[in-house]
Amino acid sequence: MDEELLKLEAELKSLRPIAPASELRARVARELAPVARAGAWWWWSAVPAAAALAIALVLAGRKEPPVSEGLAAAQGATFRPVAAEKVLYAAADEGPVTLADGTAARRVRSSYVDTITWKNPKTNASLRWSVPRDEVRVVPVSFQ
Amino acid sequence: MEDFFKHEDWHHWFERYGPKLLLCARQWTRSLADAEDVVQEGFVRYWRHQRGLPGEPMALLVTSVRRAAFDLARRESRRAVREESAETDRARLEPALVAPVEGDERRAAIEAALARLPEEQREVLVLKIWGELTFEQIAAQLEVSPNTVASRYRYALGALRKEMTANHCHG
Repeated sequence: MDEELLKLEAELKSLRPIAPASELRARVARELAPVARAGAWWWWSAVPAAAALAIALVLAGRKEPPVSEGLAAAQGATFRPVAAEKVLYAAADEGPVTLADGTAARRVRSSYVDTITWKNPKTNASLRWSVPRDEVRVVPVSFQ
Repeated sequence: MEDFFKHEDWHHWFERYGPKLLLCARQWTRSLADAEDVVQEGFVRYWRHQRGLPGEPMALLVTSVRRAAFDLARRESRRAVREESAETDRARLEPALVAPVEGDERRAAIEAALARLPEEQREVLVLKIWGELTFEQIAAQLEVSPNTVASRYRYALGALRKEMTANHCHG
């Protein structure tokens, strides 16, 4: 190639492709978000049971006139967890730290949104609960 | 090999390869929205199933994105032709490159000249310059010989120079 073409090639290389929109990054994040492990399900199934118990106690304490048909159905409803997902929407390396024993490490913060869905198989009613959560990990650094 | 790259590392990979992949994807799709869809599909497929494979990551990513573009084209083939040409025209108007410091006019002129190149030449130029693939890797992508790729590249550069010189003389 002659010098002029090499110059044009260099000029083209100096132009940078436009970065993808943050919305595309968020879509990829949603797709690559790891799902919650099955081992944690028992804990989530305890939550609606506790909520149902609390509602029952409050209603029993009130001694109000007979409840409507819809509410009675809701009280008797059995919600079961049908889906649990964990979406990682941000991750940041917060830099080096030194542990108590002098070990060098890095602190990494990951921000998640956990979403649990329960469903009543009888009525097909569903309930979704999303909770933001930060996870901070301290990862030892090895120098080789 | 599966855990060679931690799952969370995809952020860094997307930062590094995302812009190049999007530019490549725009050569095989009719709109920016379609290009974003195929980058998403190709990147996610690569990260889930192929990131442990040996070989140059960018070449594997380009393969994955190109396949996603072809899949999309097959799915969308029933769309009306007039709609296609309108979308393609709009896509060509959206900037795909950023000038380093200044010289946005020059950048716009280069993009306009690029858009006028024959598709097969533009594809090779984009994969070589911004995809940073070798002639051999591009040849493998396009299923042609490295010599053909090299020729298309030289023709593309020559045509660009001609366009830019003509613009400079008239502008």
